Amino acid sequence: MSSALDLVAPPGEELEAEVGAIAGRQAYRPPARSRLQLVARYAAMPLFVGALFGLTYLWVQSQQIGEIEQRVLNGPAIRRAAVQHLTISLLSTLLVLATAIPAGIALTRPWARRITPFALAIANIGQGVPAIGTFVVVYLVFLRDGRTASVVGMAIYCFLPVLRGTMVGLEQVDRDLIRAGRGMGMSKGMILRRIELPMSVPILLTGVRTALVLNVSTAVLAGFIAGGGFGAILIQGFGLRRQPTIITGSVLAGGFALLADWVGRIAEDLLRPKGL
Amino acid sequence: MTATDGEPMIRLDRLHKQFPGQQRAAVRELTLDIPEGEIVILVGPSGCGKTTTLEMINRLTEPTSGRIFLQGEDVTHVKADDLRRRMGYVIQQIGLFPHQTIAQNIATVPRMLRWDKRRTAERVEELLDLVGLEPDEYRDRYPKQMSGGQRQRVGVARALAADPPVLLMDEPFGAVDPINRDRLQNEFLRLQQKIRKTIVFVTHDIDEALKMGDRICILREGSEIAQYDRPQHILSDPAGPFVEGFLGSGIVLKRLNLARVRDVELCHDWPALAIDTGASEVHRAMLDADKGHALLLDDQRRPQRWVGARDLRDGSLEQAGTPVAAIMFDDITLADALQEMLTATLGVAVIVDRGGAYVGTLDLETINTAIRAMRQEAQERDRQEARAGLSEAAAVS
Repeated sequence: MSSALDLVAPPGEELEAEVGAIAGRQAYRPPARSRLQLVARYAAMPLFVGALFGLTYLWVQSQQIGEIEQRVLNGPAIRRAAVQHLTISLLSTLLVLATAIPAGIALTRPWARRITPFALAIANIGQGVPAIGTFVVVYLVFLRDGRTASVVGMAIYCFLPVLRGTMVGLEQVDRDLIRAGRGMGMSKGMILRRIELPMSVPILLTGVRTALVLNVSTAVLAGFIAGGGFGAILIQGFGLRRQPTIITGSVLAGGFALLADWVGRIAEDLLRPKGL
Repeated sequence: MTATDGEPMIRLDRLHKQFPGQQRAAVRELTLDIPEGEIVILVGPSGCGKTTTLEMINRLTEPTSGRIFLQGEDVTHVKADDLRRRMGYVIQQIGLFPHQTIAQNIATVPRMLRWDKRRTAERVEELLDLVGLEPDEYRDRYPKQMSGGQRQRVGVARALAADPPVLLMDEPFGAVDPINRDRLQNEFLRLQQKIRKTIVFVTHDIDEALKMGDRICILREGSEIAQYDRPQHILSDPAGPFVEGFLGSGIVLKRLNLARVRDVELCHDWPALAIDTGASEVHRAMLDADKGHALLLDDQRRPQRWVGARDLRDGSLEQAGTPVAAIMFDDITLADALQEMLTATLGVAVIVDRGGAYVGTLDLETINTAIRAMRQEAQERDRQEARAGLSEAAAVS
């Protein structure tokens, strides 16, 4: 009776397999996106911001600019403000990434389950308190240097979104993938590096983009604690009660925040692992 | 339990698992030998502890007590990651890594074992061929670009990557639709003929167990062994009401699934003649055989038409009678043959060899005889075992 278990392919099975393969081949098609859609996706934002800056420039040109206002509203001063603004934003973003991502990884490990709620509560304080409050506290209590205080204050403010993004990203990884990995003898470190982190890149990147945008926009507040940037232009505009200065400051700050979001989106598209 | 020759590939020795906070043990003192090169199916109702048992073999679940032996070596306390790299593992959800290509997925274990690139690439190629996927076509695809059945095959290829002696499979065909499941099961059985791995396979589906298993271990709650035997023997000789209940109705039909047409004595009562034979000669043959119909064959002995006495009036037989509908190869199962037979002319299935030439017919009588023979065989085996037990006891004393 043992011969009952010998298996010979019924005819036609090969054919079916072939049909399956062809079906698979047809299913494989990169997501079609027309050229126009691509251009729209990537070019719209810089065009919009460029137009905004251009219009503001023309409008400012048409205004009467006094001698005092001239000291604030000139090419080199604006350039200096832009460099300051971007520098503190980027430094703060780096600081957040360097702290919140490792913290997010640590808090999702099984051994940290018990302290996770407490850690999240603490991170919540950073965002719960108004941003300007955080800035001032950091400035007054810890650091008297406006720039450093801005970077640290912004980092505290942005810590939670990145931490959350990291934790959500890691927790949404399919448990079956982890089980399959464990079953093949991958160590916990390998699972983190080869499965969990790559799989959570999309959500992680969204967190990073949020941090970048928040940083670029809250960097305006650095103006209040002598941290420089577009905030300084804005404040001077309020002091002088001059509309062109106020509007230039806010348009620049808003435009840069939009561009930061744009850069973040491109990064998300480029860095997303293939196959997801 | 069936005695096995020599060292078993895997031996579980009083393996016990008690999960914290639970009243009953998930697996109670299970002792089981898994012989080399066979597919052993762990089957039982849900919650009987079969998956926990499987996971204890590669220690995804650490046993509370008891020991695990792999090729005679006690692996209960070796490093779990190293142990797992010596066993292939396939789960129901397959668990291909979506962000890695098919080649990278398959290379998971070789990479951990630090194989060099060339060896890994060659192995990936070989495995894709083995599971019937064209390497150039599929190597660089991502899992989402493949169908469910293809992904399942890649899952098997990945488990086989480092050529482990053992393959653990947890409901590997559970997530595939019924039509593809049947095909994948057949493919897998053919693959196993080539690779001859020791396979522990968990399922809750008794029909899958009967089809895939060289041996079946029917488990009840707490992974208690209700019966551990070859499928034919379980069907012909179920050990008690639990096994009978689990086998469900239609045991006889299930048994027909395990026997093939070539294993039974075919019937040669129907006259079979060449199609260019004269009508009168055909008529005489029918009278001799005391049958109302005759089977006409072409010059290569392929069945062509059934003719009855009334069809023989006009001279030529080329168009007389009815074409033969139920023609079957001799390697199909009795169950499939029965299915065809019930709808066929005269209730008779015509059996041909691989070349399509007539070898005999199959009717209800033939199948009936085969079933009786199976039952006798089981009884005979019981008697022999009893005798062997006695002589063993005598030898011991």
